[in-house]
Amino acid sequence: MPHSKIKERFPDAILEVTEFAAEPIIHVKGQHNLTVLTALKSDGYNFLADLTAIDNLTLGGYERFAVAYHLLCHASAQRLTVKAYVPEKELSLPSVESLWKTADWQEREVFDLYGIKFEGHPNLIRIMNPHDFDGYPLRKDYPRLGRKERSDFPVIKRPFKKEKRTE
Amino acid sequence: MNSDDVKSNVLTTTLESAVNWGRKNSLWPMPFGTACCGIEFMAVLAARTDISRFGAEAIRFSPRQSDLLIVAGRISIKMMPVLIRIYEQMPEPKWVMSMGACASTGGVFDTYSVIQGVDQFIPVDVYVPGCPPRPEAVVEGFMKLQDLVGKEKFSDYTLPSAK
Repeated sequence: MPHSKIKERFPDAILEVTEFAAEPIIHVKGQHNLTVLTALKSDGYNFLADLTAIDNLTLGGYERFAVAYHLLCHASAQRLTVKAYVPEKELSLPSVESLWKTADWQEREVFDLYGIKFEGHPNLIRIMNPHDFDGYPLRKDYPRLGRKERSDFPVIKRPFKKEKRTE
Repeated sequence: MNSDDVKSNVLTTTLESAVNWGRKNSLWPMPFGTACCGIEFMAVLAARTDISRFGAEAIRFSPRQSDLLIVAGRISIKMMPVLIRIYEQMPEPKWVMSMGACASTGGVFDTYSVIQGVDQFIPVDVYVPGCPPRPEAVVEGFMKLQDLVGKEKFSDYTLPSAK
């Protein structure tokens, strides 16, 4: 396994290496994600299959937020997950856009929905919500019905007053 | 011209009825399809239900050339300003059909990002229920709208300031 000695190589960065459903998960500190991911990419995990985030508010974990990187090695078809933990007080971690171009939009999506900032990202703006949107809707403490965003539009009346028509 | 010719060739009516007859049989729809209702609307145009029988086959993708806005699908908070702009670009007289549960009420999408019925913000004339509505239901809504168009009054189209 190319990642088997990863904990010895980065003892400061890696919190723990676990396994779930026969696939390894490497838990790292947020600020060290780029170091570990660069090493894993040169080890053969060349493909970033997905990049997403988890709000651990009700789940518990090292920190409130975790950014998850799902990697795939094309040569051996092995998959691996890296979870980078981000504290609620300082919601930022290095961008991996320099390693995988696909991270560009996915990091924008995480920023849009969780409010996690990616240092070094070329264009970190909202991708799905309107640009003047306030709040981060995928956080667990965001109300499902929002904060009245969906009723905050001008009401357009008919320019002509039509008589009430009946069937 | 003798009196028999007049009987067989001249029809007396009001200008209002003649104009309404023309309008209701040549509604040009502007489809605002954002979801599966938009796909179902394509079936309304196809051979089996074929709304060209109602004079409405001239689908315009420019709001400036159409007089019936068909809102087909869920409208998100990012799409609502676009819908309002398109509605305002349509020339009078204009009508709006809200097609399907999402456009009419938000449907199952009771979340922060989906408008709970476009009639909160723009005037709607006909609601077609369904998820998505069958083409027959859209045709039924279309015929209801034709009835409404047939009852339009010129006097309604005076600006409030002119009265």
